[in-house]
Amino acid sequence: MMLPILAQIFWTGFANAAYYVLFTIAFALIVKVVQLWNFAQAGMMGIAFYTMYTVINFLEWPTWAAFLIGVAVTAAAGLLVEFYGLRTLRRRRSSNLMFFIFTLIFSELIAYVLMFLFGTEPVTLFPSILSPVRIIHGIAVTDWDLTAIAVTSASLIAVWLFLQFHHEGQFLLAVADNGRLAELYGISAQRAYLVAFAIAAVFSCEGMYLFGTRAAVLPTTPNDLMLFAVIGTLLGGMGRLFAAAAAAVVLALVQSYSVLVIASKWQGLVLYGFLFVVIVLFPRGFRLPGFRARRAIPAPTPAQAKV
Amino acid sequence: MSDNRPASLRRRTLLATAMAGVASTSLPAIAQDKPKLRLGVALPLTGSQALFGTDQVRAAQWGAEDINRKGGVNGQPLEMIVQDTQADPQTGINAFNHLIGVDKVPVIAVAWSSVVQATAPVATRDTTLALSIGASSTKVAHLGDYVYTTYPLANVDVTALAKYVYNTLGKRTGAVLYINNESGLEGGRVFRDVFTQLGGKIVAYEAYDPTATDFTGMLLKVRVADPEIIHIQGLTADTPQVIAQMRQLGMQQRVTSYSAGYNPQLIKQLGAAAEGFIVTSLAPGPGDNPNVAAFIERWKKEMGRAPNGLPYTQYLYDYPYIVSSIYAWLAKNNLPVSGENFRKGLVEIREFDLPMTGKLVVNPDHTVDKPVYLLTVKDGAFVPLATIS
Repeated sequence: MMLPILAQIFWTGFANAAYYVLFTIAFALIVKVVQLWNFAQAGMMGIAFYTMYTVINFLEWPTWAAFLIGVAVTAAAGLLVEFYGLRTLRRRRSSNLMFFIFTLIFSELIAYVLMFLFGTEPVTLFPSILSPVRIIHGIAVTDWDLTAIAVTSASLIAVWLFLQFHHEGQFLLAVADNGRLAELYGISAQRAYLVAFAIAAVFSCEGMYLFGTRAAVLPTTPNDLMLFAVIGTLLGGMGRLFAAAAAAVVLALVQSYSVLVIASKWQGLVLYGFLFVVIVLFPRGFRLPGFRARRAIPAPTPAQAKV
Repeated sequence: MSDNRPASLRRRTLLATAMAGVASTSLPAIAQDKPKLRLGVALPLTGSQALFGTDQVRAAQWGAEDINRKGGVNGQPLEMIVQDTQADPQTGINAFNHLIGVDKVPVIAVAWSSVVQATAPVATRDTTLALSIGASSTKVAHLGDYVYTTYPLANVDVTALAKYVYNTLGKRTGAVLYINNESGLEGGRVFRDVFTQLGGKIVAYEAYDPTATDFTGMLLKVRVADPEIIHIQGLTADTPQVIAQMRQLGMQQRVTSYSAGYNPQLIKQLGAAAEGFIVTSLAPGPGDNPNVAAFIERWKKEMGRAPNGLPYTQYLYDYPYIVSSIYAWLAKNNLPVSGENFRKGLVEIREFDLPMTGKLVVNPDHTVDKPVYLLTVKDGAFVPLATIS
């Protein structure tokens, strides 16, 4: 009797983790490349959702067009943040606190603009939130579950391939390792930042598409969703994209399974508990016992490089 | 007064001004030169409950316009002043302070249990009559001398529903899923207690977080308990999600809810999965009262749709009629307009014959009794199921 329940919770929790993984990758990528705790991502997620919502429900264009326009608008917003916000702060040599405040205020501003434009009624991307379901070995599997897992898996593979084999991806890693040194080698850190924001826009859009086809969204919803991304990034360790994604999956599963030992109404508490424990005990991220990160090879000095 | 949210504040002010403007510009010439009789409304125009709140304000506005079109109260027009509460207690207190301190209204319509409870001390302190119209918590009846309800409290419709489920549908085991807030806690408890007292058994009693979007774990617990019926005491955003996930997990039990579930959007979101869903309504339908049919037609004509939460809008439409009766009573008895005299008028008049919800009797214990109308979803629409006196 218990096994099917555990299996169902695992499956649904795993499928629901999809959008958390996408948000976490977007957040962790900016942390890694731009060295910025980008709370403006909540604003990007809001822009992504409401752009797709507008295209689907008001313009009545097909879903693929809505997604592409959503990515374009979100990426444009990200680039504007980089061009007119972050670069200005860098020029002024602003403190980390100022960057933090800027990104936080940007998200709040976007939430209020979206409230003004779209009202504050909860809305979904499509009129129906039901997804066809099939029972496989006693487990209810919806089309949404399969779509979410497929989209997220494909996105993770794509970003891995991009970072490993595409020269722009390798530039991102170089800038992430040492921005100044990368520039000495002719790699534009500014360009790397823009590419990182563009990729984050794609992931934010995918995540909000999945979320908005399953649950109702308010202009302030992305702020709540960001908590997962922040904890995932902290738990995975700074700069470890795929560890952060794995942490998001673990968090989603822990939250889902927590209902077996605590009342459903306290599920939200689990996240804050995690956040507290991670900050206090694992400020550099959690690593499995016996797991040792590859020792980073010291970057050559410019003089060595010239030789 | 500031809530540190200027954009929201500006929007609320704009909306309130627009509403008030519309109400006053529609006055007939005969009444324009006489002093206006003010009435306050504190409802959510923004926030997650704005879907209902804005429609309720519109209904009250129509009520005031219709009274004014017929000459107002002894030739004096009503002027409705609206403040946004966002269905948030603190914002509700700000709204009350503004309506009482700045707009000088003697009576305020307010809804949402948590807001009614938060604003009750303000109404009592400033001796202003607060009429709760839509809040279902039974605590509303115990909030002081200046807080009355015109809307039957949770124990009325949820009690009737639990009795119907046990006596008429013959269900003996049930589950209660409720949102972890004031109205959820209260309504869930009432359903559980009544159903249990009748001899039924509540096999699962689960609360969920208001921000939750995944209900799988909770629903699996309920699935194991295998109840014959499931009662959801939730809100407009979460109730469809709970039902959708329930159906996707293969749970086919009939679902009941209270008046918050009476929402056409829910049928759109759930499609065939909504069939058989039972909700309560504390207001008569088009078949019970011809004014309601005309009211719905008016919505379709002017707004192109049915109202969200039709029964609530019916009660709000009647609000200016209650106020106009009390204003007429004050004039007849040569009493000055004040919150204290408004309260006296309400208690003295006690029985009101209202166009949209019929007869209203205000009990000395601050409650009202009304028939409960049950509706169910059939062929993609809400249809009458039973009326319980």
